[in-house]
Amino acid sequence: MTAAGAPHVAAADLLLDERLRLEDLVDRDGLDELCRSFHALFGIGVRIYSSDGALLADATGEQELCAYVNGMPEGRKACAATVAAVKARDAGDAGDVTHPCFTGATYRIQALEYDGRRVGRLIVGPFVPANVHAGPPATLLGIDAAVDPERAAALIARMPRVKPETITRMTAHLKSALDLILFSGHKAHVTSQMHLASVRESYRQLEDKTARLQEAFDRLKELDRLKSNFLATVSHELRTPLTSIIGYSEMLAEGLAGEMNAEQREFVQTIHDKGEQLLSLIMGLLDLSKLESGTMRMTLRAMRIEPVLDEVVSTLTPTARKKGVKLALDAATDLAELRGDPERLRQVFLNLVENAIKFTPAGGTVALRARMVEGGGGAEDGDDEGLALLAPVRARLEVRVVDTGIGIPARERPKVFDPFYQVDSSSTREYGGTGLGLSIVKRLVESHSGTIAIEDNEPKGTAFVVSLPPHVTQ
Amino acid sequence: MQINFGGREIALKLVYYGPALSGKTTNLRALHQLTSEGSRGRLMTLETKDDRTLFFDMLPLAFRAPGAGGGMTLRIKIFTVPGQVLHASTRRLVLQGADGVAFVADSQISETEHNAASFLDLRQNLKDLNISLKQLPVIIQFNKRDLDRVRSDDELDALARRGREPVFKASAVNGTGVLETFFGLLHVTWTRLDAEHHLGQMLGIESGALLPMAARQLGITADVPTLLSSCVGGRLNPAPQVTP
Repeated sequence: MTAAGAPHVAAADLLLDERLRLEDLVDRDGLDELCRSFHALFGIGVRIYSSDGALLADATGEQELCAYVNGMPEGRKACAATVAAVKARDAGDAGDVTHPCFTGATYRIQALEYDGRRVGRLIVGPFVPANVHAGPPATLLGIDAAVDPERAAALIARMPRVKPETITRMTAHLKSALDLILFSGHKAHVTSQMHLASVRESYRQLEDKTARLQEAFDRLKELDRLKSNFLATVSHELRTPLTSIIGYSEMLAEGLAGEMNAEQREFVQTIHDKGEQLLSLIMGLLDLSKLESGTMRMTLRAMRIEPVLDEVVSTLTPTARKKGVKLALDAATDLAELRGDPERLRQVFLNLVENAIKFTPAGGTVALRARMVEGGGGAEDGDDEGLALLAPVRARLEVRVVDTGIGIPARERPKVFDPFYQVDSSSTREYGGTGLGLSIVKRLVESHSGTIAIEDNEPKGTAFVVSLPPHVTQ
Repeated sequence: MQINFGGREIALKLVYYGPALSGKTTNLRALHQLTSEGSRGRLMTLETKDDRTLFFDMLPLAFRAPGAGGGMTLRIKIFTVPGQVLHASTRRLVLQGADGVAFVADSQISETEHNAASFLDLRQNLKDLNISLKQLPVIIQFNKRDLDRVRSDDELDALARRGREPVFKASAVNGTGVLETFFGLLHVTWTRLDAEHHLGQMLGIESGALLPMAARQLGITADVPTLLSSCVGGRLNPAPQVTP
């Protein structure tokens, strides 16, 4: 009947109908202290039992009369019987009973209630009711032949004497003090339970949300993978007919199908050039999608960078010369071996150098500079701790592609590596290009555990700085 | 609701819901003051320094029905929820297992939106607990009638007539309308539960005898029908529902 449909919290039951136990609500030591102070104040013993009969607190000193009686075998027996009877005695419907002792003293048994339920018993005694003035009762004198009536009378006189109404007030006071302690204990108990339940509930909500986010993330990742696959497939399918277009236009231009006039040749040449342009764009897309989907095939092996750079320079020297740009290579002699794919690195530097030439006006210079750089320490870490150990593994091979071209404004630099990004979209018209080159370059460098950055070239132009880790032999 | 045959007890849970600072705790304090000690326990409040309810307040009531075989006890625990938005999970925890809800609204016109938002929050939390608002006995209290810039009585009456929930007007800080609200809530809750579970039979009393019995044991001198008659609008006595 309590919302059975909600599986996650059990606090409602806790709040509505909790069976409270005395021993769960009070601090034992505190309870003991309370009883001891009562005993110290009135000289009367106090015991507190839980509802299932466990002794929770006990502040009783043996009265002289009790010690006297206990010194006799029969007396000891009778005393034990009385104590057991008191311990077992129910407080009755009214919650307050008096239990007599054979010595003439009495015990008061009071029910402890909390939240309308009995949670334990309070036993006060033994004491002698103040209105009893008779001598030692027959039950005491007859308990053992050794009882001396005079001594018994003297000891009874030294027992605590309390009026019944006083003992009622005293126990009522003790009960209300206890009630307050129980209430405080209950409140603390409820607070902590509620706190726990709230935390658990909040945690559950967070978990729910995390699960939903994870799900969305997985779905997005899957979509991304599908997109890359799609791109790869489409690029491949586009390439096939394009090869025919380029091939046939080339054959036409070469006159294999008969002589053409100049105008026809120019048209066919345009078809051929645009076909090539389209092909390189598609190849770029294909590379990019392979790099993004992680399916770019790369064979990383120990290699040297010098032959790669030599080849790039010799490939692009005609282009540079045609444009009136000087192309120079400057490689240090101590270059370390790399672990990489020479074909892909060639692609990287071919692209960078080609770009540099493209954006450098006639009379300018494009230089390729390769050298080793000590990494780590200094500015990066703020000090040079352990550099003797760390510097060798931090050394990097740095290749700078430097031009004296139009430069790239600082705020544009992070963006030039985004696919299809052009610093100035009008430059596409002036300089051509697809906007894919640098994003491919960046991904290729990163797949070699390298980095690429853009710096200013003083006084004018741009420096692309490719930094690659050396091949560390085990 | 929980029925404990062994312990001869029935336990009900009533919840005072509403926006922050609408006077839920004040209602409980007033109820505590207006009733005599015999049947009600201590008011437990879990507050922060600034008098805002942290988890909830709780006022326990217990009524003994002198039925056959020693009679049974009807225990009612009244809770308030923390109104502040950030205690959403605590509100849901307190709301769980509620048998009836008193929605304490702030009568000030400026609080109209907060009242509505809190009511939607109640509906959402119930939904999360798989309870439909339609199935839950709910009454509405428009509190703070003593302030200026409150919605007028005529306006409230007109609004109340349009809604399903019985509406009570109160100024909890002065103790007015508090008993009316409580007995209104007890009435709709008892009517529903008695129809579904024959609680009257279990307690050995006539269905109509519970409220007067509760009033008597709480030491309330006012007449129950008079208390209930202050309700405006809504359906205080819904047609008996056939439960599947």
